[in-house]
Amino acid sequence: MSEPGHRRGLSVETKERLIAIGSPVALLVVWQVMSWLRLLDARFIPSPLTIFEGAVVLIRSGELWTHLSVSLLRLAGGFVLGSIPGIAIGLLMGLSRYVRAALDPLVAATYPVPKIAVLPLIMLYFGLGEASKIVIIAIAVVYLVIINTMVGVLTIDPIYFDVAKSYNAPWGKLFTRVIIPGALPLIFAGLRLSLGVSLIVIVSAEFVAAKAGIGYLIWSSWETLVIENMFVGIIVITVLGVVTTFLLKELERVLIPWRRERA
Amino acid sequence: MTAKIVVRDLTKTFQTRKATVTHALAGVSLEVDDGEFLCIVGPSGCGKTTLLRIMANLESPSSGAVNVRRSGAGDRPLHAMVFQEHSLFPWLTVLDNVAFGLEMRGMPRAERTERATSFIRMVGLENFRGHYPHQLSGGMKQRASLARAFVTDPEVLLMDEPFAALDAQNKVLLQEELLKIWEQNRKTVVYITHAIDEALLLGDRVAIMTGVPGRIKEVLDVTFARPRDVVETRTLPRFTELSVHIWRVLESEVRRARQA
Repeated sequence: MSEPGHRRGLSVETKERLIAIGSPVALLVVWQVMSWLRLLDARFIPSPLTIFEGAVVLIRSGELWTHLSVSLLRLAGGFVLGSIPGIAIGLLMGLSRYVRAALDPLVAATYPVPKIAVLPLIMLYFGLGEASKIVIIAIAVVYLVIINTMVGVLTIDPIYFDVAKSYNAPWGKLFTRVIIPGALPLIFAGLRLSLGVSLIVIVSAEFVAAKAGIGYLIWSSWETLVIENMFVGIIVITVLGVVTTFLLKELERVLIPWRRERA
Repeated sequence: MTAKIVVRDLTKTFQTRKATVTHALAGVSLEVDDGEFLCIVGPSGCGKTTLLRIMANLESPSSGAVNVRRSGAGDRPLHAMVFQEHSLFPWLTVLDNVAFGLEMRGMPRAERTERATSFIRMVGLENFRGHYPHQLSGGMKQRASLARAFVTDPEVLLMDEPFAALDAQNKVLLQEELLKIWEQNRKTVVYITHAIDEALLLGDRVAIMTGVPGRIKEVLDVTFARPRDVVETRTLPRFTELSVHIWRVLESEVRRARQA
């Protein structure tokens, strides 16, 4: 039944949801029809069905999973290697003005360097194997996490430190009850930003310096002109971004319950 | 009566950027009796919050001293402070916020939950134990803040305009509740406010403070009967007399501050 005061039929929310699902589906249909009518050149823009068939072949052969798992391991390794020291350094910079004075110029000066620009150097130091890919992602992650964690600590309202001090909070309690939860929302913002950047970095690194991975799949498909596989690679990396962002948001909801109802 | 708090010749100067020195407090001396409710009233920027923060050990004086005399065993905290709005930790539930002071003192979880719960009940928030502050109204937040301070059973309670941000109706309710709780244990209270009527409604004495530099201009005895009715007390002729008197003392001060 419709609520009083509303027109009969579907609610606004349901309509919105239907439109949100309908528009991409409509686009795919238009695309497919245009391919059938040969309005799109199949050599450059394969039809959705061709891409789907390409994906099925890649999945059946296990090739897609191989590439995906390689990229996932690199992402996970780089993320852990970058975020843990990033949080630690960010906390130290947020808590000590001397640590901040020492590290802030270094961070500020090196942060704008495009991470992919140092990939050759990283390969020189860490070899052509997995280590160099993990390290380049860690480098991309560490900056965003450092900066966000530091700002997270610095923007904790001073009144919370006053309250802690007035109840004689010992240092350990101050850390676990005030500093960490106070900085947590921005730490997570840093992690979410890092996720996007890591996807860019992993794909570019795999373009030039890998023998497997989603980036490699896209690049090798370009070299052999298997256009539908390029599309498959692009779709997979996009889905990866959506899924990991979703997982991080869920983790955030569990770890930051006091923000749950603001969304 | 014996003095519970002795404030002796307190001065506080702040060094601002261009080497100019601001005198926030200039020789403040004050005694607060055991079990007394002292209100300090003054306009914004007169240094009353600085005075309270020094009493709370959140800031150190440039010279002079604050002494709080302990009664009995030394395991009670010397003071607890009720802050202005937004001092509850947003990441802790009402229960954990109220139990915060107990947790800092190392009280085991079961014991502090029990103690905190009884104080949460006292301020009427028993149905909101597991709520986060953003789910509470302004009045409920300040109730929780009161509970957080009272639960630690401090020697002295320090309050920094705790109800200033509340609407008029909620303010009356909270004042009534504060008095009700205070009647039960008669703690020594130092209560900062800029509202003349609030100072008269709550206090046994009212210290009038002026700035800059901050000093105590006058201390009035307020002898309205206890337990006090917040609404009826306002209607007493003596209440009006005292409010006018305090306003006369502060008026020139406020006007001068406007010129500056």
